[in-house]
Amino acid sequence: MGNPRKFASTLAAAALTASLATGTAPAADMTITVWAGGSNASDVYRVDAIEMAADILAREAEIRGESINVTVDKKLYDGWDDFKQAVTLAAESGNAPHIVVTGHEDIAPWANAGIIRKIEDLIDMDAWPINDIFPNLIEISSYEGAVYGLPQDAESRPFFAWIPHMKAIGYSDAGIAALPERVAGGEYTLYDVLDDAKKMQDQGVVEPGYGFYPRVSNGPDYWQFYQSFGGEMQDAASGKLIYDQGAMTRFYQFFADAVAMGVTRKNHVGTPWDQWYAEVASGKAGLWHGGTWHYARYTGKEGLTGFFDKIQFTLIPAGDANGRPNTITHPLVYLVTNRGTDDDAFIAAELVKIASEPRINTLHAIKSAHLGIAKSQTSIELYSNDRWASEATERLLPSANAMPNNTDFGVYWTAMWKGLESAWTGQKSPEQAAADAAAELRNALGDRIVMR
Amino acid sequence: MTPGKWLGVLFLMPATLFVVVFFLSPVLLTAVFAFTSMSTATGVGEGGYLITPSTLHRLAERGMDRSTAESLGATTYLVNPETLSRARAAGVAAATLDELGQRHAGKSFDGRRGFERALKSLNNRPRSVRALKQAARHFETSVLNRTFGQREDLLAALAASGVRLSDEDRERLVDASYTGWTWTTDNLRRMFGTADTAQVLANTLIYVFVTLILFNTGFALVLAITTFYLPTTEAAVFRGIWFLPRITPPVLYVLLWKWFAWDTGFLSTVLGWFGVASRNWMLDTAFNAWVFVVLINGFVGASMGMIIFSSAIRAIPEPLFWASEVDGASRWQQVRRIILPQLRWPILFVTSYQTLSLLTSFEYILLATDGGPGSTTEVWSLAAYHTALNNYAGNLQYGYGAALALVLVIIGVVLSLLYLRIFNFDALVARPRIET
Repeated sequence: MGNPRKFASTLAAAALTASLATGTAPAADMTITVWAGGSNASDVYRVDAIEMAADILAREAEIRGESINVTVDKKLYDGWDDFKQAVTLAAESGNAPHIVVTGHEDIAPWANAGIIRKIEDLIDMDAWPINDIFPNLIEISSYEGAVYGLPQDAESRPFFAWIPHMKAIGYSDAGIAALPERVAGGEYTLYDVLDDAKKMQDQGVVEPGYGFYPRVSNGPDYWQFYQSFGGEMQDAASGKLIYDQGAMTRFYQFFADAVAMGVTRKNHVGTPWDQWYAEVASGKAGLWHGGTWHYARYTGKEGLTGFFDKIQFTLIPAGDANGRPNTITHPLVYLVTNRGTDDDAFIAAELVKIASEPRINTLHAIKSAHLGIAKSQTSIELYSNDRWASEATERLLPSANAMPNNTDFGVYWTAMWKGLESAWTGQKSPEQAAADAAAELRNALGDRIVMR
Repeated sequence: MTPGKWLGVLFLMPATLFVVVFFLSPVLLTAVFAFTSMSTATGVGEGGYLITPSTLHRLAERGMDRSTAESLGATTYLVNPETLSRARAAGVAAATLDELGQRHAGKSFDGRRGFERALKSLNNRPRSVRALKQAARHFETSVLNRTFGQREDLLAALAASGVRLSDEDRERLVDASYTGWTWTTDNLRRMFGTADTAQVLANTLIYVFVTLILFNTGFALVLAITTFYLPTTEAAVFRGIWFLPRITPPVLYVLLWKWFAWDTGFLSTVLGWFGVASRNWMLDTAFNAWVFVVLINGFVGASMGMIIFSSAIRAIPEPLFWASEVDGASRWQQVRRIILPQLRWPILFVTSYQTLSLLTSFEYILLATDGGPGSTTEVWSLAAYHTALNNYAGNLQYGYGAALALVLVIIGVVLSLLYLRIFNFDALVARPRIET
């Protein structure tokens, strides 16, 4: 037999058509496994939504006179490394879960490796609720023009300022209220951030090294600063990655300057996350950046009350005239894997589709302080009555872009981070770090990356 | 062979099996992977064929006719007798196909959505998503973004797409669209072509030799000798304490070090009483990071040498010590003239064994500094781990990681052979002259 898989799918198609033609009711009892990465207790709706969808699917089937009983086998992974290793290794041995919830950047390598199926092959992209999802999120769930997944949530990575400290260095209430607009207009830049941070330290409002208190580990956040200085990650026309050495140098220089001014600690990277959260949520830091989901942590575990009186949030300011104020959204996506038969895949995709319905998705968005994926969520009361979700959606999402889905992006990212760390900790000058990263990328990727 | 010899072979079987499964095969696989482009994106098994807009863009840059690339880059759905009969043969409902044929015969649709909308507007439309998708797929004539399992499938689809291709272009297209791994020496070229390699190598040498000299043999020797002169009970207590780092689970052990070293930890608090600003002592400077990396590994490593040296010292005939004391030798003279000469072989053994062990161990560094600050404590085995099994963007580079690991394998094998020579292994296993 030439191609067993093709033969099997033909058989399945034939059986299905036969059952439809004769009007017999197909009965299915199946188990669908779903794994979610980077998820803690507040993210349970990433997998619970699939279970809710299974219930709706069963009811719909029953009305059609069919019987579909889906048991959902759920698993949450706290971190990313373990999860990604588990998925790829399971996929290599044919035991991948049917549905995975992962960062959109996994689409490129997994699509190329044939681990995942194109969701556009499995669901009607014209149908509700797909036609209600923000088009830019659908684009982020695509690779090479084909839609592979559906967005599971959206978020964005804002800049934060501790309002009492801003007042202490002379900002008025009106000045603080106008900050988001000044940032969006490019009037308040990253170097103004450093100046304000310095003022806070000089006046003893915050301790040295706490004026500007960035993220403590590698993450998509740092690409925002590259964009603030005019960097672009991918060329839309050719799909090739772009390394902008000038922008990279200025981005590294900014962090080196922050250290030189004493407003950021040289050894900041590697600070424990628990310590960092506790500090930023208690006013120990002046200015910092984080994610929209931090709202849940600050007001939950860290016990912050009166969030909107204490914390102002804006886009990441522009770095200089070449750059722009921006924010990166890093949506997680539902992906259907190649595990099982076509039948399994259709059921899995149907579950993902139902789980993306605005009401179900809103449960996750509000519980985990993420942003919604669809237009109509803003008219669901649970969402619209939540001040954080509605204001963050309005202020941040319109300016949000995402990292490219490109199989070589990981190599690029590693080089970017390595360069940043060495400039930040003073191992290399920013120019040297950016030049070394360029050399490394030329060596590793050749003409698959465009050097500017 | 005599039955006795067979019995010997049988006794060796479990060990042989172990060596083959857990040593030889990983080494062989590492060597094989090192010469491939294997990554998450290529998968470990056989790849497929996928033509994407980027593939076509790249080929157009390398000289493929632009209009050919453009026609390959379109998604086309065609309704003609051929596609209709293909769908019929696959079991798509006759009524749907008849109506489709009547209303759209000869029509070509750009893109999947347009064609699916046409299908959905039929009176005899497919009544489920599954039926819709399964009907539509038979009319797709383009090859863009479709995965083909075999080369022949792609060639057949290319032929059916109606796009004319020169033989050369077709070959290049098929090659460029292959998604699986290929044999390559690029990993070695990349390894030798980057300045990182030299830095990582230097880090590795610092890590191995400083830890080895100061702790795994040096401090182990100090512990063994000092506890030798202690009364038995106290000696056992001290040795027990120095054994703790080895038997504590690594995650917990490193966590204790972190509590000791970080901003709000023990060290910062105590020094804070004397006006020293709190800081993350472990990651403060490259030097600090090295101090901690060496201490963390050294405290674990010292215990093995301590045990071996202690037993070797005890094996020294006691009359030697009595005689030296009668002669008025000091403790230091005993150490220099009796103990150290007798420990020559154990020291050599611990040194060689621990060199190999340190070369490949990275778990404590991973947990403590993860190679930081700024890659200053990134050692070779950690770099191999990061490359092959850790990537934020999900594309793990198994091939390049294996090439890095292969270097360690080669160093390990060369050193092992060298040690066998130094120890004169043949003499150790030579047949005793007394027995027959």
